Amino acid sequence: MTTVGPISRETLLAYADGQLSAAEAETVEAYLAANPEAAAEVALWRRQDDAIRTLFSPAAAEPVPLRLKPARLSAELKTRSRGRWRMAAAAVVLLGLGLGAGWLARPLLERTPPASDVLIASAVNAHHVFSAENRHAVEVASSEEDHLVTWLSNRLETPIGAPDLSPEGFGLKGGRLLPGDPAAGGRAAQLMYEDAAGERVTVYITAALPDRAPAYEFATRDGAAAFYWANAQITCTVVGTLPDERMKAVSQAVYRQLTGGSSGMGIASDYLEHG
Amino acid sequence: MGDLIAEIEACVPALRRYARALTRNADVADDLVQDCLERALARRGLFRPQGPVRAWLFTILLNLYRNGLRTSRRRGETVAIEDMPSEPMTPAAQPGHMALAEIARAIEALPPEQKEALLLVVLEGVSYAEAAGILGIPQGTLMSRLSRARAALRIFGGTSGEPYLRTVK
Repeated sequence: MTTVGPISRETLLAYADGQLSAAEAETVEAYLAANPEAAAEVALWRRQDDAIRTLFSPAAAEPVPLRLKPARLSAELKTRSRGRWRMAAAAVVLLGLGLGAGWLARPLLERTPPASDVLIASAVNAHHVFSAENRHAVEVASSEEDHLVTWLSNRLETPIGAPDLSPEGFGLKGGRLLPGDPAAGGRAAQLMYEDAAGERVTVYITAALPDRAPAYEFATRDGAAAFYWANAQITCTVVGTLPDERMKAVSQAVYRQLTGGSSGMGIASDYLEHG
Repeated sequence: MGDLIAEIEACVPALRRYARALTRNADVADDLVQDCLERALARRGLFRPQGPVRAWLFTILLNLYRNGLRTSRRRGETVAIEDMPSEPMTPAAQPGHMALAEIARAIEALPPEQKEALLLVVLEGVSYAEAAGILGIPQGTLMSRLSRARAALRIFGGTSGEPYLRTVK
């Protein structure tokens, strides 16, 4: 028997746990043969191991339940994730529908600017665009006033006339048809007047708004003054850059003539005369 | 992918055994194994295991087990020791023969990190290097845990040829 030097507890443990190579194990066995105390300790560990294996090994021999079969679990996971994708897709579709509905319901949900604002803005814009033109300020000149009035009346599907503003010093220069606010028929007529000094005033007329309600409004916008009114027949916006007094006089004349001097003009004429 | 599933499947009995030893409850253990397998299968695309599949699975299982321990400790749950499956084997500690119920109780009483290490090495026959990898500790730490676990169990072990209770100190 070969004598072996002292062997560490760790090596003994490793031996008991079967962690050593065959050669190393042989060395340890030789040592144990000569050292009964160490051998007893190793034997104790071995018995611990036996006990542990006896206690718990049977679990590995039991038939594996279906729920622990990897192939089955994997298939289930795929179905579940496909389900999740389907849920995600459905969520996207619903979100899309929601957004679409929201977009369509926009007019109901948002506070749209009042029609008068849109009409006044269009009227002022048209005034600036065309009163700056020289040769092409109008589409149909006042020399064809009858044709102009008939044509615009037909296009607006609303009878209109060209007010006579000569008492205010303005002569009719002509008019044109313009695209307009869909709420007011989608078309607009612009009549242009000019005084001796070349000052221009425009009258922007559309068919009546759907509510056909009377309304009156004075506004200044983009350096121009605008007087707007609406009734059951038309909307009309007089636009100019005249001093207040002249502007008021012109507006009054337009209003009076286009409403046929009807008795329903009370508020607006009061407004124009005293406002 | 199919190969991996086969490899995973081959590890299931060992996972069940280890989980059963850790939890001392067959249902809880199988739940743990199922969670472990699901996690492994769900991740396998992104996270192909490096090295042996077994070590990878045991790492997942241990993490789940520890998370569960933390939760149940918070909830204050306890597992009735009477539920231990080995109870019928208790009788008659013959000389040199260990009372299994005693050692089961001793294992139950070990600190979790010693129990995890001891069961990996003894029950699963995992090498020190692999066990250290699974537990995420240096090999030296692993060995000292094993040594302490052995010493704690020793009081139930007796020495060869003597009644086990003789060595109680």
